[in-house]
Amino acid sequence: MKEIKDTMIAKIKAAFPEAVNKAYDGNRLDFTVHKDAIPGFLSHMKEQLGFRHLSHIAYVDWIEENEFEIVYILWSPEEKVKLFIHTRIDRENPVMENIDMIWRQANTYQREMKEMLGIEFPDMVAPDEFILEDWDDIPPFRRDFDTLEYVNRTFWHRPGREDAQDVRETITKRSGEEIPDFAKKYSR
Amino acid sequence: MYNDKNSKKIVETIQNWARSHSVWVLAYGTGCGAIEIAPTMTSRYDAERLGFRGAATPRQADVMLITGYLTVKTVKRVVRVYEQMQSPKYVVGFGSCTINGGMYYDSYNTINLLDKYLPVDVYINGCMPRPEAVIAGLAKLQQIIREGKANGAEKYLENLDWYKANQRKIAPKWIAKAPDYNW
Repeated sequence: MKEIKDTMIAKIKAAFPEAVNKAYDGNRLDFTVHKDAIPGFLSHMKEQLGFRHLSHIAYVDWIEENEFEIVYILWSPEEKVKLFIHTRIDRENPVMENIDMIWRQANTYQREMKEMLGIEFPDMVAPDEFILEDWDDIPPFRRDFDTLEYVNRTFWHRPGREDAQDVRETITKRSGEEIPDFAKKYSR
Repeated sequence: MYNDKNSKKIVETIQNWARSHSVWVLAYGTGCGAIEIAPTMTSRYDAERLGFRGAATPRQADVMLITGYLTVKTVKRVVRVYEQMQSPKYVVGFGSCTINGGMYYDSYNTINLLDKYLPVDVYINGCMPRPEAVIAGLAKLQQIIREGKANGAEKYLENLDWYKANQRKIAPKWIAKAPDYNW
C-alpha cells in the first residue's frame, strides 16, 4: 500500500505541483487544491489515475474563517485507494465550479449544497428546488441559522415540555420504588 | 323511512355501531412508527380480529394512521390524502412526534403539532408505542365512533379557513395551487 500511495503522490505532484499533500495512514490520500483547479484536477484523476468512482461530496461551514470547505472523495477500484480533495471558497460570495459533466451523480450533491448552504453552481443541470420546498429563510445548514428560533417563529409548541421531567425518576417517585444502582447513571 | 328526530338517531346509532366494527386503516408510514404496524396487523397481535384492516387507497379508507414525524414536505401530501378520503373519516396521531414534536421539536423541517393542520380524533402516546398501545388507541377510536363523538371531518369543514391558514403558513406556494376542498 505504501508504494502504491507514494507512486500516486508522485504522479499527482508531477501533474499539479501546487496541490498540497497531507500524510494519512491506511489507504487514504489527501490533497488541498485551489478552487479554480478543481475541474481539471478531478478529470485528470478520473481519466489518468483510475479514480473512477465519486464516493461523496462533503461540505463544512468554517464560519470563523468566513469560508466554506468542499471535500470531494474519490475511490480507485483497482488500487483500493481513496482520495480526499479539499478546497475552500468564500462564504460571502459562494460560487463553485460545476463538475456534473465529469460525474453525473455529482449533480445530486451540488443541488443539496445549493439548497442547504446556498452555494451557486453555474450551468448545473436541473438547478431547481430539490429537498426543501417553500423555503424563504437563509439556507438551514449554515451555522448562523438558528433552528430553535425558526421553529418558534414557524411552528407551535405544546405546553408541558418546559418542566423537562426525567421519566424514570417521575415514575419511580409515583410508584414509590427505588432506582437501582446500575440504572442511576442513566438518570439526569 | 321516517324522517323525525328519533328515527334519525336510531339509524345513526346503528350506522356508528357498524362503522366501529369495520375500520379500514390507511397507514401513512413515513415516520419510524410504520415498523409497529406490521406486528399489529400480523399474527402476533392480529388487529383484524377487532375489525381493523389495511386499506389500499385513501378513497377506501376510514382511518388515516399518521405514524410519527411529518416534515413540511410530507404534511402537504397528508393534507391532500386526507381531503381525498371519503366521509366518515378519522385521523389517528401515532407517537410523540405528532403530539408535540417529540425528539424533533427543534427541527426546522418537521411540524410539531399535527392538530393545527388536521383534526385528530385519537392520539397514541409513546416513542414508539408498542402494538398493545396501538390496539388500545384503535379500540378507543372504536369507542368514540360508537358514541358518535368522532367528528373530526365535520370539525375540519367548519373550521376550514383556520386549518387552511395554518397550512398556508408553512406551504404558501403549494396551497395556492392546490384544488379547493369543497365536497
